[in-house]
Amino acid sequence: MKAATEAVYLPMLFLTVALLGGLRVDDRVTFVPPPLFALVLGMMLFGVLVRGRVIAADRLMSASRMPLENLNGLVVILSTFFAAAQIFNLVTPESGLPFLLFNVFLFVLLVNTLAAFPDRVSVLRSMAIITGAAFILKFIVLGALSNPGEGVLKRVLYVLLEGATLGTLSQPVLHPAAGYIAFATLSLFLVGLAMLPARTRSEALIKLDA
Amino acid sequence: MLILMRERSVRLIGLALAMFYASFIVWLYVRQPQTLAEVTGGLTATVGAYRINQQAFEDGLALFRRDEFEAARAAFNRADPAGQDARAQFYIAYSYYRSGWGLLYQDNAHFSKGLEHVDKAIALAPGGRLVVDDPELYIHSADELRAELAAGLRVEASDFNPMRVFRKRK
Repeated sequence: MKAATEAVYLPMLFLTVALLGGLRVDDRVTFVPPPLFALVLGMMLFGVLVRGRVIAADRLMSASRMPLENLNGLVVILSTFFAAAQIFNLVTPESGLPFLLFNVFLFVLLVNTLAAFPDRVSVLRSMAIITGAAFILKFIVLGALSNPGEGVLKRVLYVLLEGATLGTLSQPVLHPAAGYIAFATLSLFLVGLAMLPARTRSEALIKLDA
Repeated sequence: MLILMRERSVRLIGLALAMFYASFIVWLYVRQPQTLAEVTGGLTATVGAYRINQQAFEDGLALFRRDEFEAARAAFNRADPAGQDARAQFYIAYSYYRSGWGLLYQDNAHFSKGLEHVDKAIALAPGGRLVVDDPELYIHSADELRAELAAGLRVEASDFNPMRVFRKRK
């Protein structure tokens, strides 16, 4: 891997994801730090990345590397972890039953991926599907369900839904820009994952002497 | 050799950039700035280079002394757009106190905003101690102003004492 990629591009990219992952745009702008469970999910995702050979930790930090190279590697590892935690902070609903269900759903998916021992391409594909599905559910499905809107019919349906679910389903109304920022952040994260130094599966041909 | 030197420079620059960017992100999450002015003001205040607009501050003081509190707040906000000056924040809090003060009842919305600003003033003052030597004020310390605003927001038995109509605005 080129020095510029390891020392500049990857840390900048993942730190930007860590910054934008907690950004909430409303009538005021707030930066939300990751909840504890997002840190747990982030750690699990990091485990999946190592196990799936998306990130080769020894290509970032090892005794054979110079101290400065190891420092750069450490920055990449830490920024990847915080970006992963903030991605889960971003795609998880803010409160109520969806918050709980999303966390359980993501936890089970990550445990399943950890157990499956997948290859690099499968892990990257799986990450795109997990985060993409969570994005669609939070920003499109739940976003539409939580917005009372302008029309009378939509307002009546909203009240009925609120009553039927005892208010556990609806979320704070999302700012129109929130979905676009989240989409850009997810895309940046997936690009960053694809750029990480990977370990390729090595095979050896051994000739047995008869 | 030249390539090695170049690679080392790239790594050093990258490390410095990442450290700076990470510190900036932590700062954003801790301080929660709302506007670009607050971001730039906060950063300049961190290095001790923040200065308020003195002319706007003087205008704010003049308006405050004429009991034109809303206009005074506008001038103080113009003087301290990043909300980084303890004295300006103290005067804004004081103007909210005076706007919200009433003989029969307090305006809780004004008192809440006043409390927000006086807390900011206390946080900005060195050691959390702020005393304003202004002979035209009744309250000189931020702690005292805070106590007055907090008391105004509490509902107590003394609130129903008819004698309270004789108390004076500070």
